[in-house]
Amino acid sequence: MTVHSENGLTRPMLTAQNVTKTYQQHVAVNDVSLEVSQGEVVSIIGPSGAGKSTFLRCMNFLEVPTSGTVTIGERSITIGPDHKSPSRKEVAALRRGAGMVFQSFNLFPHLTVLRNVSLPQERVLGRSRSEADERSRALLERVGLSQKADAYPSKCSGGQQQRVAIARALALDPPVMLFDEPTSALDPEVGAEVLAVMKELARDGMTMIVVTHEMAFARDVSDRMLVMADGGVLECGDPRVIMKQPTHPRTERFLSAVLDR
Amino acid sequence: MIDDLLGWTEYVPELAGGLGVALKLTAISLLLGYPLGLLLVLITDGSSKLLRGLGLVIVEFGRGIPLLVLLLIVYQGLPQVELTPTAMVSAVVAFTWSAGAYSTEIIRASLAAVPRGQSEAADAAGMSDRERFRFIIFPQAARLAIPPLMNLAVQWFQFSSLAYVITVPEIMQSAYFQGTVTFDYLSVFIAAAFIYAAVTIPTSALVTRLEARLGRHL
Repeated sequence: MTVHSENGLTRPMLTAQNVTKTYQQHVAVNDVSLEVSQGEVVSIIGPSGAGKSTFLRCMNFLEVPTSGTVTIGERSITIGPDHKSPSRKEVAALRRGAGMVFQSFNLFPHLTVLRNVSLPQERVLGRSRSEADERSRALLERVGLSQKADAYPSKCSGGQQQRVAIARALALDPPVMLFDEPTSALDPEVGAEVLAVMKELARDGMTMIVVTHEMAFARDVSDRMLVMADGGVLECGDPRVIMKQPTHPRTERFLSAVLDR
Repeated sequence: MIDDLLGWTEYVPELAGGLGVALKLTAISLLLGYPLGLLLVLITDGSSKLLRGLGLVIVEFGRGIPLLVLLLIVYQGLPQVELTPTAMVSAVVAFTWSAGAYSTEIIRASLAAVPRGQSEAADAAGMSDRERFRFIIFPQAARLAIPPLMNLAVQWFQFSSLAYVITVPEIMQSAYFQGTVTFDYLSVFIAAAFIYAAVTIPTSALVTRLEARLGRHL
């Protein structure tokens, strides 16, 4: 099923075409397509095991799709029988188009908060140390963590670590941000600080794809909602409409389960 | 009475030369053995089947054969095939081989202990494989590997006493020689034991502190 952006005039920032990921016999993602326009926020929801995270990880080739095409900005990689497998360089180039925030933060524990944000800029974008540090400090300010610049991640709370991780991803100036259940490892109160930062990003026009169980966030912040189950797309559209009147019984079941909690 | 109890102390200076040799043997075999271990990790994880097999043989035999047997093969055995390494060279070869084999396992385990998410974060940022290893994986693995590698060094210093068997003039060789002169074997060997303990116990304490320090952010 192909899901087009609502406004056909804005150019797509990220396109996934017929992405499939299989592990031996198991089909984790089954022929999913998605087009995300500039500035659009798309939430992906669904029961666990639906293939949401796997699909998201196919966007930047942390999981190499079994088949399909992923395009971010100008870069495109197709996996299929008629295409040779992409070089490490091509994959790295595609990845630069998307910043990623993980469920488990994955900050570099041996580096200070500032170095966590600066090092990738120096290595990947070739910025000088002072240039990178300047940008890092501005971003840490933006996520409310200037005072933690010289601390090590182990001295930061989970919510703080996740906000540093967001700053680290933003520092590379990616056109798209991918969030893989960014608040699932946090208690609700701490998760709220992270969601606040994400809301602000969305308001500032960042293109975002967010795999999440935060239904309020999905409803209030995202422009579109993609509901997945068993590796496929159940439905996609305006989050308010889907949450009020889901067309698929499986969606209904899922929504009533998460909303009744 | 006190004189009797502390009689062994007069032998300590006599063994100082042996201590020097023991430290030298330990240091050389580790300075060669650690890089050999890293090389063996790369080879046994590499793509060449031939090198992988060769590396595996070196590691498995290095760990599987007792150091004493390795020493005797090199020193007593090789002359039969027209190779006559000196006692010290034989000891260095055997000790390096074994140290390389053991540090291979330590380095491999340390690399494997760096969480997968670290590689993913580096990959997602668009770092190359080389950058990922150099800036993200290696620094974390090194913090994990240094304490066990230093414990290996402590152990290797103790094992240097085995080189006595092939006439390397280390601590036990000097002690035994003193014993044959004075017949005061008890005092001489206590003096030797004191020297070993004086090196190993503070070093081990240092490793424990270093371990806490290196691990504090991981």
